[in-house]
Amino acid sequence: MTTLSQQVSNRPIPNPKKSLITRLNMGTGLIVGIAFALATYYSMQTTLDDATLNFQRNNQVLLATMFMWSIGFLVGIGAFIGPFRWLIGKDLTAEEQLYLAGDGQGIKRYFKYCTDHKVVGIQYLWGVIAMLAVGGSMAMMIRTQLAQPGAKFITPSIYNSLVGLHGITMIVAMIIVATGPFGNFIMPIMIGAADMAFPRLNALSWWVLFTAIPVLCSAWFLGGIPTGWTAYAPLSVQAGPGMNAFIATIIIFAVSTAVAGANITATVISMRAKGMTWNRVPIFVIGATISVALAVPAFPTFMVAMIQTAMDRTFLTGFFDSNVGGSGWLYAHLFWIMGHPEVYVILLPGVAILMEIVPVFVRKPLFSYTAAVVGFAGIAGLSVLVWAHHMYMSGWLPMLNGPFMVTTEMISIPTGLIFLVILGTLWNGKPWLKVPMLGVYAFLWNMLIGGITGLYLSDVPADNYLHGSMYVTAHFHYTLMGAALTGAVAGLSYWYPKMTGRMLNERAGYISFWFVQIGFQILYLGMFIAGAEGQPRRVSDYAQMYANSNRISTFGAYLIGTGFIVLLWAVIHSWRNGVIAPMNPWGAKTLEWTVPYPVPLVNFDTPPVVTSDPYGYGKAVK
Amino acid sequence: MSDHNDVHLEPTPGERFSKFLKRGDIRETLAWAAFYTAVFVVLGAYFYPKWMPTVMSTDMKAIERLMVVFTFISAPVCGFVMSIFTQTLRHRHKGDTPPPDGPMIRNNRLGVAVFSGVASLLTLTAVIYGLIELNSSAEAATKDAPNALVVEVTGNQWVWSFNYPSLGVESNMLNLPIDRPVIFRITSADVNHSFWPVQLGVKADANHLATTLAQTTPTKLGTIDVKCAELCGLYHAYMETSGEVMTVSDFNNWVTAQGGHSA
Repeated sequence: MTTLSQQVSNRPIPNPKKSLITRLNMGTGLIVGIAFALATYYSMQTTLDDATLNFQRNNQVLLATMFMWSIGFLVGIGAFIGPFRWLIGKDLTAEEQLYLAGDGQGIKRYFKYCTDHKVVGIQYLWGVIAMLAVGGSMAMMIRTQLAQPGAKFITPSIYNSLVGLHGITMIVAMIIVATGPFGNFIMPIMIGAADMAFPRLNALSWWVLFTAIPVLCSAWFLGGIPTGWTAYAPLSVQAGPGMNAFIATIIIFAVSTAVAGANITATVISMRAKGMTWNRVPIFVIGATISVALAVPAFPTFMVAMIQTAMDRTFLTGFFDSNVGGSGWLYAHLFWIMGHPEVYVILLPGVAILMEIVPVFVRKPLFSYTAAVVGFAGIAGLSVLVWAHHMYMSGWLPMLNGPFMVTTEMISIPTGLIFLVILGTLWNGKPWLKVPMLGVYAFLWNMLIGGITGLYLSDVPADNYLHGSMYVTAHFHYTLMGAALTGAVAGLSYWYPKMTGRMLNERAGYISFWFVQIGFQILYLGMFIAGAEGQPRRVSDYAQMYANSNRISTFGAYLIGTGFIVLLWAVIHSWRNGVIAPMNPWGAKTLEWTVPYPVPLVNFDTPPVVTSDPYGYGKAVK
Repeated sequence: MSDHNDVHLEPTPGERFSKFLKRGDIRETLAWAAFYTAVFVVLGAYFYPKWMPTVMSTDMKAIERLMVVFTFISAPVCGFVMSIFTQTLRHRHKGDTPPPDGPMIRNNRLGVAVFSGVASLLTLTAVIYGLIELNSSAEAATKDAPNALVVEVTGNQWVWSFNYPSLGVESNMLNLPIDRPVIFRITSADVNHSFWPVQLGVKADANHLATTLAQTTPTKLGTIDVKCAELCGLYHAYMETSGEVMTVSDFNNWVTAQGGHSA
């Protein structure tokens, strides 16, 4: 008897000489993308009216070039073949669809428009690793500059660009760090699905994001960005050509996020295995779905704000420029209506990964599944009502500071539930301190500090002092890095065996964990002190009185850098030489551990039927 | 009396509670929680006043008090989290095989209710305390306004300038008389800045073509560091100046020396 996946792989592959689909890959994408970009650039340079102001004209040319690169790349890699077939009243044949799924193409499928969710997951994983590496290197340069007063390492202009590009690179990386690799690779298997709901959109979301990476990098060569990642107007309207790269990146990224968010949400709603009722869905799936569903309404406001900034810069529309009747407050609102939900878009999947890990490593059921869901939903619901706490000091309607303070502090309550779920699961258990489980403890401490410092910042009178200081920087790194990234790294060591077929080198995992977490405490303890002492954030230089706290911070930063280099080595080394992993190394009960490595094309030979939630660990208590 | 000895009565809630408190794991949790709560209380009470700069205004005093009080409010939460953190680590499973099964506790409604109730009460305390502080500072501002010295603050890439319209003085130094309320009218000549006289506990953005108000009363003589707290371009880090809270006679002398007329 042949299994379903064998039947699928035994089907004939279309003759490679005849089909266009088989000839397209990343290389053709690059060629067509660069051709589109060059054609746009030179044609606009020559045909545009000379009377247009130089500043605007330059922005028009650069923005058009960047968008045409993105479109060209997608044409070249074959993203539009399906829609084009529909236009002429046809569709892809079954063989072509199978080819697009990357069946039997080995490593080449990672460089193609591949619709297999497992391939997309690995593509996202390496994309995220690359972004974190670049953003992390920028952080090292920032800390090197701040190691001593006197701005001895780099100029203020380069420093400001580093701050902005570090910010946006890390924000983009963190938004996809959990939902990209694990949401794509693991999640469909976890819910017992054969693939995502819209496999071609899945490939589209990754390759659209991919086109944003060179655009963002080009900011560096166009003079950088002077605004930080918040890109406040009017500074952003007046900024040099590098700003166009920032704008284009955000717009492209927003498209990718919308596509990915719709796809993940649709998959979870419509493709769960038989018997997987809503109260049997693994908690990571709940967390990731709420996160991407929250991103779907949040990101368009940022996209709109960037389109308006672009129009201000190219056509003098004056949405945000007060010189021509616009308002910087309008920009700040649009930005933070995205910006505050966005931190929870980042946080929730990381926390949900840790909630998935705790029951496995203490052999107890997840404590109060309902509280976890209520906690996630409560955070997501409140998070759209808090944005103006970033604007207490902006002068915009001080009367509303009180109400925004109340909504912000209310978030402590659902966040408390998240803690309760993890603590209740740990309670009276005997934790098995493997590398993934260490992340749970790091999360508890880091999120505690991040949460409580957030309470001070949410308070209007206290924010009078703390707003815009290093204290804020330390606070949000505790939540985004200390909690969310810790969760994602724990997830990597937890699911690494399923994604690569090998165990992640354990010793390197421990070494990396301790370097990163100890360095992290040192770095941000120093930064909390500098902020409390009164050092503003985003400064390329500071007074002598902050020298000690900054020196401490820089030392901590180097420890983190060392830790992550060890982790990167472990990921690469174990991928090729690691111990072969058993099918279920941790003894977990979720569905992804019931499939072998390599995971078959359609995941399950027989579609699974679910009869309980995946947390039935432990022995009954009287 | 002896008739009733054989009857098994259901324990009252009080008895169940005292029995609950005698459990070894509960006692350990409470002991660690008390320990960590005390640690956080001490850290908050000691370190914030130590790190934060000299208190030189009514507002800065309120801010420092608020930081300490908020630490006290959150200390029990920290205590509880760190208690279970420590306790489970002490009982960790060693070895390369998965640990034995733990108790299958799927939920505890009373536990969730008590935790949520306490967390909500603590949050509510913080909210009410913050609202009271916000209100009292607003009331003080209204009461003090008629008597206040008005200072017009302008941010300009990358310098601050101060205009005292009632005195006819313009300066790059922020000098203020002690114990007299001051109203800052803040604006910008170009991009967004944020006016931050650090020791006064005041911060307000400077926006182009808009005026932002902030108010406080300096209460201590000494130097004020003025910084910019909103990234404003190339030399943002260097957009700082200083000033002084002076006695009234020193302030009048300074005003006269600047060519102004004293108040």
